[in-house]
Amino acid sequence: MLLVKIQSVLVYTFLWGSIYLLISLGFSLICGVLRIFHLGYGVIFVLAAYGTWFFLDAGLGIIPSILLMILLQIVITLLVFYKGIFQRYLEQEEILLTLTMLVFMMVSHLANYLYPVTAGVNLPTTIIDGTFKLGAVRISYQMLFAALVGVLVTGSYILFFLKTRLGLIIRAMSQSTQASLLLGADVNRMYCLAMVLSIIPPTICTLMIAPFWSIDPHMGSSLMMTAMLIAILGGLGNLKGSIISSYLIGFIHASISFFYVSRFMGFGALIITLAVMIFKRGGLFAGETIW
Amino acid sequence: MLTIKNVTKRFGGLTAVNNISFSIKENEIIGLIGPNGAGKTTLLNLLCGIYKVDSGSIRFQGKEITHLAPNQICHIGISRTYQIPQPFDAMTAIGGVTVAVINGKKRENMTLSDAGLNASYFLEFVGLFGKRDTLAKDLTLYELRMLELARALATSPKLLLLDEAMAGLNPGEAAKALDMVWSAQEQFGVTILWIEHVMKVIMKAADRLVVLQYGEKIDEGKPETVMSNERVIEAYLGGKDAEN
Amino acid sequence: MVSIELKRDRLLMRWKQQKYEWIIEPRYWRNPILWSLLLLVFPLFISGYPNILTMVTMANLYAAITIPLALQMTGTGRMNFGPQFYLGLGGYTSALLNLHLGFTPFFTLLATILICLIIALLLSPITWIAKGLYFSLITLILPLALLDLTYIFSDLFKGEVGLMGMDPIISLGRVTWNYVAYYYFSVFLMLLFLLVAEKISHSRFGLTMASINENEDVALMMGVNVNKYKVFYYVFPSILTGIIGWFIVHTFRTFAGVTYLPLDFMIKMLIIVMIGGRASVYGMIPGAYFVCFLEEILRSIGTSNYFVFPLVLIITLVILPRGEGLYGLYHKRHPRDYFPVMRVRRE
Repeated sequence: MLLVKIQSVLVYTFLWGSIYLLISLGFSLICGVLRIFHLGYGVIFVLAAYGTWFFLDAGLGIIPSILLMILLQIVITLLVFYKGIFQRYLEQEEILLTLTMLVFMMVSHLANYLYPVTAGVNLPTTIIDGTFKLGAVRISYQMLFAALVGVLVTGSYILFFLKTRLGLIIRAMSQSTQASLLLGADVNRMYCLAMVLSIIPPTICTLMIAPFWSIDPHMGSSLMMTAMLIAILGGLGNLKGSIISSYLIGFIHASISFFYVSRFMGFGALIITLAVMIFKRGGLFAGETIW
Repeated sequence: MLTIKNVTKRFGGLTAVNNISFSIKENEIIGLIGPNGAGKTTLLNLLCGIYKVDSGSIRFQGKEITHLAPNQICHIGISRTYQIPQPFDAMTAIGGVTVAVINGKKRENMTLSDAGLNASYFLEFVGLFGKRDTLAKDLTLYELRMLELARALATSPKLLLLDEAMAGLNPGEAAKALDMVWSAQEQFGVTILWIEHVMKVIMKAADRLVVLQYGEKIDEGKPETVMSNERVIEAYLGGKDAEN
Repeated sequence: MVSIELKRDRLLMRWKQQKYEWIIEPRYWRNPILWSLLLLVFPLFISGYPNILTMVTMANLYAAITIPLALQMTGTGRMNFGPQFYLGLGGYTSALLNLHLGFTPFFTLLATILICLIIALLLSPITWIAKGLYFSLITLILPLALLDLTYIFSDLFKGEVGLMGMDPIISLGRVTWNYVAYYYFSVFLMLLFLLVAEKISHSRFGLTMASINENEDVALMMGVNVNKYKVFYYVFPSILTGIIGWFIVHTFRTFAGVTYLPLDFMIKMLIIVMIGGRASVYGMIPGAYFVCFLEEILRSIGTSNYFVFPLVLIITLVILPRGEGLYGLYHKRHPRDYFPVMRVRRE
């Protein structure tokens, strides 16, 4: 029994941790590059799920729907969030935070109004159906696929930041905007690029996990809570820290679920994050630069 | 009045202040001079309690103050100004000085209006009474330095630590500021420890000079004696044959 | 002991070696007195419409919750994302003590104040340990942790349904008279909190706290005991919010954490502070009335009100001048008055 539990914990740590990677990557990116605590991050999840459903409902196929949805996401992020809120209110942080929260509330209530939970929204994005047994643990193929996609996407982001020129510029900007401006970086364009890059992992995540984690209009807030906890635990804005703390939080969730009662999952993660924030200020990798 | 004995402070591998000892008597003006990086501001911060002393002791009027918190040191009677003026930006000039009046010492029978009156007296002493309702971020550099002086004096100190009060002032303003410091010393009876780079001013004003270099005290004494010391000249001018 | 003297334009109170002064300014009292009279006389005209009365009572309570919040945010210059933590704490304390141990409302008030004081003191180290953004995040997480806790021990806290049937504070014969009595209680609480908050922010405490906001190290050097002020500005508004929790429990006689603890409620409170104008504590009242009236009006347009409500708030927030909000339309802020820059990432 104990062996089975340990196996389950290990397997689910990997699976959940990799999925959480996708959830928190965008948030850490915005925190690290734009230095803004983006409380409207949950909009991306809601738009991903309900935007695709909207286009599917209008009769388009799955691939065109996804592409149109990504276009919609980019437009909303750049127009509403970046131009509308961040650029105008960078100096007035309290208004910035309140406005982003209000936009998020508006979008998720709009989704709730148009497609309430009873409307039966589901996205046909199952890649592989069915389950298999690894040792004594039963896993669904879709979850495994989601986890692998998570690792792949994170890996490509790390390669982007470490090996390409644009990645180098973004890393420099996250350390000092003034100095990068002086050295000729086009800060506005890089910010737009960072915001667009931050949309991709959560969108992919929502599409992958739609089959096995239910879609409801308020999923944005719970997923954003998880992203926030992971980002805080790993040190705000630090990608390395986010990666490590994704697996850490996955481990906490898995062990509490399997060794205790799964009701306490969220609460346990909250308490541990509170403790880390109080005792090791700044999280695991305090320092607030991207890498 | 103030005795500093064998004070040392290390930051990681760098010894900023190494085994410094000197003492200050009542009603003196002591100048603390030395090239950049000699540890003058660090010594000031150690006196104020902002940094913790690694070893050594500081005694003020017979009491050991080495391990006190900055606000307790203020209550005992030591007050300071800052090299780069640090006013309370969004508060008015009189508001900033009133804070110093109320919190500087334990005041008895003082209401907020009384404190305001007291603060306006200090502002008038430095010549800022006309600007008392201006927000501190709108003042010029000279006015900011005067505000710093008023704020430091408002805490009723016995020892006033001035950190480069003349930096950035043109000669006319520097002369006015020097007069202000002298009249402060006369009128309020404060002892002054003054870090300064502008040699003309400190040679005129100081009763004694203490010279630091690389964290160590290399000379102490009357200004003329100190300035003719070979080591001091070498510290400032680099050791080539140079005129005084 | 305490000696009181009336001078020409001020009232002087002396106690031991301390002197307190209250400057008597009748010409500045005219407007507040008129508005208070309006608030007090108002229900006599609408006592036939209990739902309007309940709505205005709720507006008063929202104002009374945000007045300590504004005091705290303007005082410490940091965003507090979790004032409802103490609301929930106070509410659950009084509800549980009343239901299970039979305390009367007066004793539950004392118990609420005591429990909020103890827990606020226990949590107060975060004000000096946690740097700016982390303080705000910790306050964000605390109410959600409390909500989770109530779900976990849902046999005690009754989960989503909440606790019901607590004793009312006062029970007059008819239901309408009860509503009127609750309205007067809420007005009294709100005006009391307003008076206390305004006196604190315009006293030497407010001035010293302003200097701490501006430059903590310099304030420390000027003799200010910084931690003491930060703790006071955290503990005192928390206790005031806890008292409102007690009031909600004994007035509406039901209390469910899920109404008051999640983010939706917090955003409403934050909006009231922003729209009402955080430059002055008086601004909370027009802010609270605006939000309550808006909610009522939008309720009549059907279920789409849930997303029109944030939309209207966004538009209002963008249009109004920063910091002065609705109250700024009535009384322009003097440049002399202290207006802290709210930095979320304040060190």
